[in-house]
Amino acid sequence: MVEAESQGGVSIRGLRFSYDRGFAIEVARLDVAAGEQVLFAGASGCGKSTLLHLIAGIETPEAGSILVRGTDICALRGSTRDTFRGRHVGMVFQTFQLLQGFTALENVMLSLMLGAPTLDQPRVRAEAALERLGMRDVHAPVDRLSVGQQQRVAVARAVVTEPSVVLADEPTASLDPANAEAAVELIRSAARVAGAALIVTSHDPALRSVFTRTVDVSQFGVAAAAGRKGAAR
Amino acid sequence: MRGGMSDMTIVLRSLRTRTLATSVATALVAIAVALLLVLLSLREAASQAFRRGTGNIHLLISADASPLVAVLNGLFYANAPANPIPWAKFKEIQEGFPWQWCIPTQLGDSFRGNPVMATSEEFFTDFEPVAGMPFQFSDGRVFEEAFEVVVGSTVAKEHSLSVGQKIVFAHGSGGSREGGHEHADHPYEVVGVLQPTGSAHDRALFTNLVSTWVIHAEERRAHETEASAADAPNPKGAATAAPSSTAADGHGHDHEHDHVHVDEADLRDDEKLITGILLRIPTRPGSDSSASIAAQFDRMRRDVSITVAQPAQQIGRLMALIGDIDWLFLAMAVVVLISSAASIMLAMVSSMELRRRQVAILRVLGASAWRVFALAITESTLIGLLGAGIGAVLALVGGQIATTFLQERVGVVIAGAVDPRAAILVAAGAVVLAAIAGIVPAVKAYRTSIARHLRPLA
Repeated sequence: MVEAESQGGVSIRGLRFSYDRGFAIEVARLDVAAGEQVLFAGASGCGKSTLLHLIAGIETPEAGSILVRGTDICALRGSTRDTFRGRHVGMVFQTFQLLQGFTALENVMLSLMLGAPTLDQPRVRAEAALERLGMRDVHAPVDRLSVGQQQRVAVARAVVTEPSVVLADEPTASLDPANAEAAVELIRSAARVAGAALIVTSHDPALRSVFTRTVDVSQFGVAAAAGRKGAAR
Repeated sequence: MRGGMSDMTIVLRSLRTRTLATSVATALVAIAVALLLVLLSLREAASQAFRRGTGNIHLLISADASPLVAVLNGLFYANAPANPIPWAKFKEIQEGFPWQWCIPTQLGDSFRGNPVMATSEEFFTDFEPVAGMPFQFSDGRVFEEAFEVVVGSTVAKEHSLSVGQKIVFAHGSGGSREGGHEHADHPYEVVGVLQPTGSAHDRALFTNLVSTWVIHAEERRAHETEASAADAPNPKGAATAAPSSTAADGHGHDHEHDHVHVDEADLRDDEKLITGILLRIPTRPGSDSSASIAAQFDRMRRDVSITVAQPAQQIGRLMALIGDIDWLFLAMAVVVLISSAASIMLAMVSSMELRRRQVAILRVLGASAWRVFALAITESTLIGLLGAGIGAVLALVGGQIATTFLQERVGVVIAGAVDPRAAILVAAGAVVLAAIAGIVPAVKAYRTSIARHLRPLA
């Protein structure tokens, strides 16, 4: 385990991940400080989502380290990595990825149950997280919610565990410009309240003005020498 | 949901979102478990019911073709025996050995499909329908005179018979609802109603031999008279009853014959026919066996005019014959159980695409690969558990229905109680099979790629 240079945030050093299709991403050094909000920009297919998955420990790189809250998530194995992810990384997806058959409140409580089982009063925390984001009917099944409400549930689920970092993968891709701006603001404010670092990926140039710092992920892309070396989890 | 979340909540929701597949898989497990339990319980209970249905007799004599047929006809009323035994033969057997008791029986008539047995009073005082449990009357008494009848508990209940009622028997097999013509000239008075015995005798009626002999003698003689009149040159001479020395059986005759009156004293020897003899050899107190049983059995077997049966032995043979068949049924039930496990696996695997996405979300939220493996196993185990529970209830209800059916139709009381050990074993087998069926989908869940299944759907 490598000590973090940026306690509470994300520090990437000497990262290399190769795809099957002869393309790789290499990140020599990248830091996101605790509480910082960063946009990962770049054209579709440049590796934004992959970088996010690497930070979340969903993908494993061939080389390098990714410190999340001072812990190298790449060095963690098996259930230790899953537990760490659940506790310290919150994720918001483009299509929300809510669990069908569960209510809004249950989706948020599941995040606490699986990611932060030691936090007390999970129900109160989940209700508070949803209310802060303007969700009224917390007992409604998620498949009956509007797109905007589903997004609120997804954000509440990502921040309820009080993570060190929130990763939002193309959260505005399926929204019109007005709703996209509102969605990003929702995520930013939730991350701010949770005290978490925020990394948002988007190919939408309009978002560059919203974030004080933008990282162009395209710069990390290189041609891979041979086939893929990294492993998906 | 008001309470907390748990892994069981995830499993239950997963089952609920696939209601149809879950229901079908559960129903299949339930049917298989119920089938196995009913077959297991009936297998043992049927054997016991047949064994105890032979009562306390040692030997049964009839003129049937085989000892097994003799037992099924004479003690379980399967059919009326076709061949009679002359009264003289009964007397010869009765006097040939110092029996504890020797009871003649005659079957042939019926009452609304129920067999009528003509016998002696000793049938109620000495013979025990179930060893150690003599006949008891819920009302009335044993027949004392001709044309008095004692009715079994099931007959009394089915046809609302009570002491004092007059009933008419039909000529013919008790196995047929149609029966033959009715002996309308000779109504019988119900003088006793028996308590249930749990044996085939509950659906029979009992009267004395003289009544039956008189009825059949009158009919036979009337036929003989009609036949003589038809042959005679002067038809006017037909009105006189003139008994013939040749006794035809009289089955299938025309019933518009003239009435001929016969008294007990008028009965000829060839009109005193019986169809069975129940025998018990004296034993020491507290013992049901005697070396004389085998000796007497061997002695009487040499008489080719009769068939001698040791009922207990014949029932043992019957059970051995049935045993092969019910193993086949048991094997089929086990195949159904295995098929139901396969259906659980198919139901879970067929929904794998949706499940993989769910698994990927759970993994992102912090669930380990082993945890999602356990969730899938729990899900299939739960289907097995639910199916086994429903199956056990079905077995109880099904066993009760089978018991009622067998008692009413076959006259064999089968206490279809499910043996708790068998129930636990079958239920545990179903649950284990269901758990095993969950392994394939669980492995698939374990190996689910999070990244691939979190991509937005096209």
